[in-house]
Amino acid sequence: MSVELIAYVAFFLTMALTYAIMCLGLNVQWGQTGLFNVGVAGFVAIGAYVSALLTTPDTPDRLGGFDMPIMVGWLGGALAAALVSFLIGALTVRLRADYLAIATFGVAVTVQLAALNLQSVTGGPFGIGFIPRPFAGSAGNPLVFSLANLGLLVATVAVLYLGLERLLRSPWGRVLRAIREDEAAARALGKNATKFRLQAFAIGGGIMGLAGAAQAHFIGFIAPDNYLPMLTFQVWAMLIVGGSGNNRGAILGAVLVWGIWAASAAAISALFPPAEQARAAALQIVTIGVALCAILLLRPRGILGEERVVSRHIGGVPMKSGAEQEISEETSRAGNA
Amino acid sequence: MTAQVIMDGLVTGSMIGLGAIGVTLTYSILRFANFAHGEFISWGAYFALAVVGLLGGLSGALLAPIGPFSFGWALPIGTVAAVLLAGALALVVDALLFGRLRANRSTVIIMVMASFGAALSLRSLLEFIFTSKPVYYTKALQIALPLGGGIRATPDQLLSLAVSAVLVLAVHMLLTRTAIGRSMRAVSENPALAGVVGVEVRKVIRTVWLLGAGLAAIAGVSAGVLVQIRPQMGLDLLLPLFASAILGGIGSVPGAMLAGLIVGLAEAIAVQAIGAEWRAAVAFAILVLVLLVRPQGLFGRAE
Amino acid sequence: MADPSSNVLSVRALVAGYERDLPIVRGVDFSVSSGEFVVILGPNGAGKSTFVKAIAGLVPIHSGSAALGSFDITNVAAHDKIRHGLAFVPQTENIFATLSISDNLQLAADILPRGRRGTRIAEIYSMFPDLAARPSLRAGQLSGGQRQMLAVARALVVDPSVLILDEPSAGLSPKIVSEVFSRLKAINQANVTVVLVEQNVKAALAIADRAVILVEGRVRHEGPAASLADDPVVAELYLGARREGEGARP
Repeated sequence: MSVELIAYVAFFLTMALTYAIMCLGLNVQWGQTGLFNVGVAGFVAIGAYVSALLTTPDTPDRLGGFDMPIMVGWLGGALAAALVSFLIGALTVRLRADYLAIATFGVAVTVQLAALNLQSVTGGPFGIGFIPRPFAGSAGNPLVFSLANLGLLVATVAVLYLGLERLLRSPWGRVLRAIREDEAAARALGKNATKFRLQAFAIGGGIMGLAGAAQAHFIGFIAPDNYLPMLTFQVWAMLIVGGSGNNRGAILGAVLVWGIWAASAAAISALFPPAEQARAAALQIVTIGVALCAILLLRPRGILGEERVVSRHIGGVPMKSGAEQEISEETSRAGNA
Repeated sequence: MTAQVIMDGLVTGSMIGLGAIGVTLTYSILRFANFAHGEFISWGAYFALAVVGLLGGLSGALLAPIGPFSFGWALPIGTVAAVLLAGALALVVDALLFGRLRANRSTVIIMVMASFGAALSLRSLLEFIFTSKPVYYTKALQIALPLGGGIRATPDQLLSLAVSAVLVLAVHMLLTRTAIGRSMRAVSENPALAGVVGVEVRKVIRTVWLLGAGLAAIAGVSAGVLVQIRPQMGLDLLLPLFASAILGGIGSVPGAMLAGLIVGLAEAIAVQAIGAEWRAAVAFAILVLVLLVRPQGLFGRAE
Repeated sequence: MADPSSNVLSVRALVAGYERDLPIVRGVDFSVSSGEFVVILGPNGAGKSTFVKAIAGLVPIHSGSAALGSFDITNVAAHDKIRHGLAFVPQTENIFATLSISDNLQLAADILPRGRRGTRIAEIYSMFPDLAARPSLRAGQLSGGQRQMLAVARALVVDPSVLILDEPSAGLSPKIVSEVFSRLKAINQANVTVVLVEQNVKAALAIADRAVILVEGRVRHEGPAASLADDPVVAELYLGARREGEGARP
């Protein structure tokens, strides 16, 4: 097998795993806690930019020069994202589910805007380059370099996965599950239910920040255009396809959807002339959007999703008589509001 | 700070308000935040564009500017068509997606997620059909007329304001004086009881989609006339729409328009004070403020 | 019993419940003839509320049938039942608090033919002068007893063939309860068939013609209201649960 092929597959898998980290973070917020984050891209961006700023060398016209080690960058990115998640969560966690959605959407829009406009901090539309890459010493040897980075990401995902599974089975995780499954239990816990939800939201956000940092250091370059609503959509699609509520589903979904995305993008480059590439890409997105809606309709629990976990979010079995259905639909939805 | 911000703010604000009315109605009656609402704005603008193009091809006279305005008769005709087509689009999306999710007793979160996916598909479909290049209804330029007090406005802008005012009034009358309006308010408060009282909830749902999408289409045409038409135009308005709907109080039509005007004015002031690039953050700031201080909005019921 | 075709409401072997595999109403036969005042009693959890909600279309019917006169309404949509003469007053949230009194009544009148609407509302206002006094008042600002009156008034707008109420006394003080009940008796005496689900056994038996007792989803006893008041079987069926005389539920 050629070195290039191995290096390419390693690159592909590494990127997929950075998305897997995002999915794991989203799973904590959504699958475990039922909180709806429509601004994933924003939290990823925070992690990426903070990490980049902490670790890049001095640059004229821009804040920087801290020259911290990569791991400090990763940690800083994760903490910054966790903090912002905490703040936004504190604002909305007691309100309707869709207020959180709108607020997180606003965060993503604002973060992207800030990245674009605060040129002296974020480098503006040009972004930040020369982000130190792990195992930079081996950059000359593509095989070693790509495999080493892949190994780093695999190790990271493994540690995260094990940590999260452990957290799930811990007393903290059990309380979270009780809150998610049983609103009455949640209400009995009162203010404490909010505290647990907030913690889960912050942890999930922090993990997303970590993913952003990992991506930034792997690629070596970031720009505001990397963090558009499209990214949020991709991560959601990955989690839903793989199976929300399930950490393995999160990882599987990331690899699968990333594969489909990359494959279709490659197909478009190959099949369409450069002038039509943008339009073809648009069609690709239409197809994926429709596919996502279809999954939500037909198999909302995804590939590995647990029936029981997701059922509370999806609702019960449709009822017998069509006559009662429309009123009861409204009633049950009124109850969900 | 010149007084011109007031006119700029009112013009933008009235467009946001029209969209926000649609959002607040669908939100209060269908009970979920529809992230695809912005796409009704964009599709409305493009539907009108297509009809204008068609009519212009049939007769150049239809493109000749009417009076002081920048557009010919093709545009009002196109707008009517856009309202109908956008309404049809909304009904189709509901039939294919939201209605079926309701039948599955899906929760709010699933509906919002689906709306996000639908929004992306609709937006990308526009990009595919028309490309992302900005387009315009007309190449005619407009001169801003002085109105006194240092404020200038083009005839197009004044027309847009007038149309918005008339529409808000009309929708308010519809909700307070007609049977369908009463039905809508009833379903907004308690759908189960509404059914018991004899309201056909399905009919109300259809009406809300038609009304919301229709208003969005008009907002889209306005934005197309006053600014430009591009596939992203709806997405750019989404956050201001939601912020306005929440600021006004979910379910309140006057609230939505008033809040839209407030958001528009705030954006105009921000553009003058700190620069146009931060415009999008203004809506977010307002949203955060509302959620902190008074989540039920100006005219909403406290939860 | 009277000839079935004169029954305003007939229910046969009704099985109903929110979940398919968990029927709460387990086979109930129930008939009401024109002009009767029937009260449905039973301990907590007997399924009284679920039973009337199923007839009204708010709870799915698994099997059995319900008919208004000779017209089968088992599979009729909830919003159509009122058009066939069945008016239902739920226990809680039975008025639109954000709408005015007049809007609440207008909403009910909207299903009548255009010509009838104004007349009917005027008739209702004359029956309920309290409501006529301030028609533009937001219904949410009414007291508990006034809300019940509005809910009943709203149900009467369509001149129903049967009026079904689910525990109208719940949450009301004894004085208001007796006002509500005497109103219902008057309405019944004006030839409106009334079916009442109640926890307040004593007060309900005092105004009803006939009583039906549901226990665990089935009819366990029925008979003329007057004799049931002193019947030891009734007390026995309530063993461990609430006795006669007490007012609002906790």
